[in-house]
Amino acid sequence: MELLFGPGMLFRNAVLGGLVVALVCSLLGVYVVLRRLVLLGVALPQAGAAGIAAAFWLTGHSHAPGGGGHTIALLGSLASTFGALALLVAGQRLARSPAEWGVGALFAIASAATVLFVAIDPTGDLEMTNLLRGELLSLADRDLVVLSVVSAVVLVLFLLFRREILLASFDPEFARTIGREPGRADALLFGLFGVTIALGVLDAGPLVVFGFLVLPALAALRIAPSLGAALAISVAIGTFCSVSGFALAYRADLPTGPTSVALAAGCWLAASLAGRLWRRVRQSGASRAAATALVLVAALGLMSGCSSFFGLKPREEPLSRGTLPDLAARGPVVVSRFRNDTGNSLRIPSGNPLREMEVAIGAAEAREWRVTDALQQRAVHELARRGVAVLDFEAARAALPDVPTDAANAARTAHAAGIRTPVMFGDLRRFTVSGDDGIVVVRLDLTLIDPESGDVLWSGKAEGPVAVKSALTSQEVVLDAGSAIFAQAFGNDGSGSDAAKKR
Amino acid sequence: MALLRLNDADFGYAREAIVHGVSLEVRAGEFVALIGANGSGKTTLVRGLLGLLTPLAGRVERHDGLRIGYVPQRETLDPLYPLSGFDVALLGACRDLPFWQPAGAAERAATRASLDATRANAFARQRYGQLSGGQRQRILIARALATQPAMLLLDEPTAGVDPETEDAILEMLESLRSEHRIAVWMVTHHLHAVRGRVDRTLELEAGRLVKEQR
Repeated sequence: MELLFGPGMLFRNAVLGGLVVALVCSLLGVYVVLRRLVLLGVALPQAGAAGIAAAFWLTGHSHAPGGGGHTIALLGSLASTFGALALLVAGQRLARSPAEWGVGALFAIASAATVLFVAIDPTGDLEMTNLLRGELLSLADRDLVVLSVVSAVVLVLFLLFRREILLASFDPEFARTIGREPGRADALLFGLFGVTIALGVLDAGPLVVFGFLVLPALAALRIAPSLGAALAISVAIGTFCSVSGFALAYRADLPTGPTSVALAAGCWLAASLAGRLWRRVRQSGASRAAATALVLVAALGLMSGCSSFFGLKPREEPLSRGTLPDLAARGPVVVSRFRNDTGNSLRIPSGNPLREMEVAIGAAEAREWRVTDALQQRAVHELARRGVAVLDFEAARAALPDVPTDAANAARTAHAAGIRTPVMFGDLRRFTVSGDDGIVVVRLDLTLIDPESGDVLWSGKAEGPVAVKSALTSQEVVLDAGSAIFAQAFGNDGSGSDAAKKR
Repeated sequence: MALLRLNDADFGYAREAIVHGVSLEVRAGEFVALIGANGSGKTTLVRGLLGLLTPLAGRVERHDGLRIGYVPQRETLDPLYPLSGFDVALLGACRDLPFWQPAGAAERAATRASLDATRANAFARQRYGQLSGGQRQRILIARALATQPAMLLLDEPTAGVDPETEDAILEMLESLRSEHRIAVWMVTHHLHAVRGRVDRTLELEAGRLVKEQR
């Protein structure tokens, strides 16, 4: 939990973003399943992904500020999702062919298009690979706000029109006879599908969106006694699997999206067994209360078994201060931005196209994410892990927005900004990843300064190769190697308790 | 008093008439059977009576504020939906509610009354998809009744049920007609079952009303 909501907040936005996507998808998913639209649920997210890939290709994947290339990434996802919906409706009305023909063709075309767009645009490869794998590791604040606001609107509209949607879905002919126009409710429902899928694919990828559109709803419909209960259970399963999946993925070093989806599949299996057990017990003449109690006991047993199997405990244990001085009397440490002296840009292409879009249009050059930023964020987390009071990452970035030239400059800037507590400055001198060998060669110098006196309170460095296990992106390299890098720098790599030693 | 009158009306789809030159009247409190072979245009005529199809020719006159409670063929409804019989009937009672307003005590009371009238209260809490054919039919009739209609229009309500259940459904429809003064029109293939119960039968053949018997 510290990783989610502690001072480092390494994954807070990613977890919250995943939670929002899971919540909305699992709610709407009940109607995806009830209306036999499961095939549509797989084809539309793929169409959204194809739209994003097309946007990357069309814009040449330019990172230049003001290039404007990625401004159409979001539009690409929306346009391709709604365009696919429009084509399906038109095809069904004009050609009068079975819906599944069009949906099947759409899936095949969208899948091929995604791969082809990525193939002819190698610079977009990493982003799309992350997206297709369902890696949700980072999400900018603004992306999270956009996702949350749009999802809230979707939820409100769904709840307001829930009876109209039910009427149009369950018995459209009857709806017409009582003066309701099911076409409008259908248009609204498919509009909600389109927006949810387009945005969800941008933030979490097609696999996650499809998984959460289908699996929680399938599980809920196995055990829910009413439609309201089905919606509530589906949302509960979706949100549970999203957060737990993230924790499991973190612990087992697995991709986040597929882990959450696999967990949802487990819930479906468990719900199927529970539903069957409940019916068996009921058929044997047991009372409703007895049957419910039995199924609940079985479910609790299963859950406790799963949690002990996966060991749902924080992977990272607290560490000693190492060579760091006792700073308890000095107030929270402010970690300033780290300087990049490697000679390389060390830019981390985001798995999140919305952030890429922002960078491309120059809307927020400062938001471009680099290895130094990831290390700064990690430093906050690692200090907190060692029991050092530390200002959270976002607050530190707001207090000291510029990259200092050196440690003394960092102290002066902090003093000018009214900061009187210790400031930590980092200078990254080397960061070379060798994918073939599975190592990263690092040289990171850290200095802790008192901004009032300018005195150096502590200094340390991490130097040498660090093993990285199956990291595909620079962000993953920092995630994998971060613990070992800071263990070296803080002088407690001999503690034997951190991940680096295990490797 | 005529609730609804068709004068030489044609109904169909894409400007192609399937029902031709039908003239008829729906009167309050009457029990009418509409019979005909498959493809004779019964369903098209039902959709015309419901107002779901605009007449391609002729005239349709409706009594002001006429409400028709429609009972579809029960096989058209998906049993996968986790709805109880009560939930299904409640949809009818919510007819006059604004879309955002949840069903309140009044709608629930109206639903219970409709379920009472169709003698469906005993199984209304069970899942709709798990009810027998006859039980589902009673739920759907209760839903139509909950809309407070002046006319009930039923599409083959006794198809696929055993003779005993068929008898019970027809008996219930008769009592609804007599107790609530509702016009009951039903589409059926089973002329022998309704003979003696209905006020008149109308027979459709190739889209035309060919026979009316009292």
